[in-house]
Amino acid sequence: MSGLMLDDPDGTLEMLRDSVAGFAERFDGPEGFRARRDAGQDLDRTVWSAMAEAGWLGLHLPEEIGGAGLGVAEQAVLSEALGRALISEPLAQLSVFAGVLLAQGDGAERDRLADGLIAGTAIVSPAWQGRDGAPAPLVARVHGEDTVLTGALCHVSAPVSATDFVVLAEAGGDWMLLSVPAGAGGLSVDAAPTLDGAQLGQLTFRDVKVPGNAVLARGNSARAALEAAVATTRLALAAEMAGIAAEAIDRTVAYTRDRVQFGKAIASFQVVQHRLVDMWSDAEFAQAAVVNAVETLADGPGKAADLAILAAKARAGDAAVTITRRAIHLHGAMGFTDACDIGLFMKRAVALNATLGQPEELRLLFVAREGVAA
Amino acid sequence: MEAQQDWNALSDDAFREIFREWVDANCPSGLRFMRKQRPVFDEVAEWYHLLAEKGWLSPVWPQEYGGMGLDAGKHIVYVEEWARLGCPRIPDHGIGLTGPLLIQYGTPEQKAFFLPKILSGEHVWCQGYSEPNAGSDLASLRTSAVADGDGFIVNGQKIWTTLAHCANWILLLTRTSSDGPKRQNGITVMLVDMTTPGVTVRPIPNLRQETDFCEVFFDNVHVPSANVVGEVDQGWALAKAVLGHERIFLGAPSRPEYAIRRLERLARDRGAFDDAGFVARYAKLRLDLYDLGSAFERFARVLRAGGTLGPDVSVLKIFCSELYQRITEEMLTVAGEDARYWDDLPTGEGDVDAMNLYLDSRAPAIFGGSNEIQRGVLAKGVLGLPG
Repeated sequence: MSGLMLDDPDGTLEMLRDSVAGFAERFDGPEGFRARRDAGQDLDRTVWSAMAEAGWLGLHLPEEIGGAGLGVAEQAVLSEALGRALISEPLAQLSVFAGVLLAQGDGAERDRLADGLIAGTAIVSPAWQGRDGAPAPLVARVHGEDTVLTGALCHVSAPVSATDFVVLAEAGGDWMLLSVPAGAGGLSVDAAPTLDGAQLGQLTFRDVKVPGNAVLARGNSARAALEAAVATTRLALAAEMAGIAAEAIDRTVAYTRDRVQFGKAIASFQVVQHRLVDMWSDAEFAQAAVVNAVETLADGPGKAADLAILAAKARAGDAAVTITRRAIHLHGAMGFTDACDIGLFMKRAVALNATLGQPEELRLLFVAREGVAA
Repeated sequence: MEAQQDWNALSDDAFREIFREWVDANCPSGLRFMRKQRPVFDEVAEWYHLLAEKGWLSPVWPQEYGGMGLDAGKHIVYVEEWARLGCPRIPDHGIGLTGPLLIQYGTPEQKAFFLPKILSGEHVWCQGYSEPNAGSDLASLRTSAVADGDGFIVNGQKIWTTLAHCANWILLLTRTSSDGPKRQNGITVMLVDMTTPGVTVRPIPNLRQETDFCEVFFDNVHVPSANVVGEVDQGWALAKAVLGHERIFLGAPSRPEYAIRRLERLARDRGAFDDAGFVARYAKLRLDLYDLGSAFERFARVLRAGGTLGPDVSVLKIFCSELYQRITEEMLTVAGEDARYWDDLPTGEGDVDAMNLYLDSRAPAIFGGSNEIQRGVLAKGVLGLPG
């Protein structure tokens, strides 16, 4: 048994898996990872455009704004397949997170961003976190029709390639989500390389002025949009990490079957076998946790779905990180080289695991939400 | 016994409702959530006979033999509700082992004679498989059965025979030949009356200082040929085949679930939830249990869809038994100095049997194929690793 075992009555999920497999033949994941890293890029625009052509970027956006209107199961299957293929463009942030924010917003500016996001012509990057990862709204002051923004936001994906940012700001205790064009006056970008061969940025706003129609959502709907984006993206990340976990164990099984020492394949040694079994077991549990989250969320949002998503992200994160780490060890000295792909899977796993909450933090959120301590 | 309806025609929820309501109303309250994992027959006889009368003693036997005829999906519901309501485990080797074996491989005479006596409780069965030198390596068993006139003469010893001291029949694996190229050949399944001269049972006190397993000695015990199941020398395949979808229950979350509720009770009483270190460790255990539920569902779904389980189901047994251990280990940490005591620990919400569970949790990682054996099964059967 392997893969995300989800009901697929009309074959959509199978088509998505095939679509990623075909894509990976054109754009090899590990090669693309190294090329982007070595070029110091934050995004491979060629790959990104091809992903738009494949119809993946607006997968979960509602049809009213030009998306495919598909559900969480489709997103999970897509993300899982991308994880397996190590196609490491920041789809979780630039498509899923940004897409959920836009889906919850309204107005002409929202429509323009959604069109660009789906087509791959606009790179819409969410910016809302402080250094510690928590929401850190900019200070917004209202000047007539305009809004003036001050402050700094961290962990922003594709900070150099972005054409637009969706930023979190606060005025008088009210949260708002605003559209800010890259290159706006007073906005500066500091990019730093990431473990997974891309760049993240810190945005500094010094009296950045945006017009009134830049507001995409405010008040409770801004808060709700952000919460929904975090939850949906966590699930996509969980699926992607479940894919990394499954691929890493497959590759390690293949390697240890081929690698001969003492006249035997090292996979014939019991100590190696039991380690491989434990890795495989962790990957199975990650898949099961993701399926559970997809199905629980499909039954509707609420406490049960919140718990299921927290569990899935924690489980898949632990699985992907520890499996890839153990996989490097089982690849021996070869595993310590940059030429060996397994190390790239580990780096990607660590980076995704650190995104939107590490396992322990998520587990603590889970038990607090469940409330058995009282 | 009441006539049975077609339970499989009901939805799982409808069946759950009916089953739960009757069980909750009828299972004696004094037998719920027993401290003892394996009570002897007399301790739970009342519940056994109530189930038999209702026709619900034997969930998976076909209705023509007096069972409920549940498919795997409904059987999962049965087992889940049983655990949820804290019903005691009954001596169930007749229901779960001998019965299914006879239904599949027994002669008409064997079925007609033995099956009703299992349901009535007249025959209480135990399982004579393991031997002192044939545990994980079961196929090396040596208890010999030598043909003699109209039967066999059996000599040898079995061990770890659960509840043999309250059983009157034993399902025995014997060595009838050692000529074949493989040790698995030459093993025969026999039905042995434990009142036959030459059978001696000696209980073995376990880690919990209870007796739920025994040694059973065979000294020139005569077994009639009519009590051989299937063909002589062909018993290994039978013994293997009888374990079908039931393998999923070795990984059912009910034991760790019970243990974590007791851990929570103890932790609330001792203020452990104010300790960040405890909360982090508890959260890991809690999520492991939650995810075990998701993984269990992954296999249950296969069964509900009419599929069969592969060797991969062993993953549940390993995870479940190791999680049970980790939870009980944490209980002792929370107990602090109180972990020096044998007795249950009092809390504001009732006693917590921390030491009892700690000791009990050593067993599931060993029985039913130790976790190392299970890992070997997964390595070969799922990952296809070379031998």
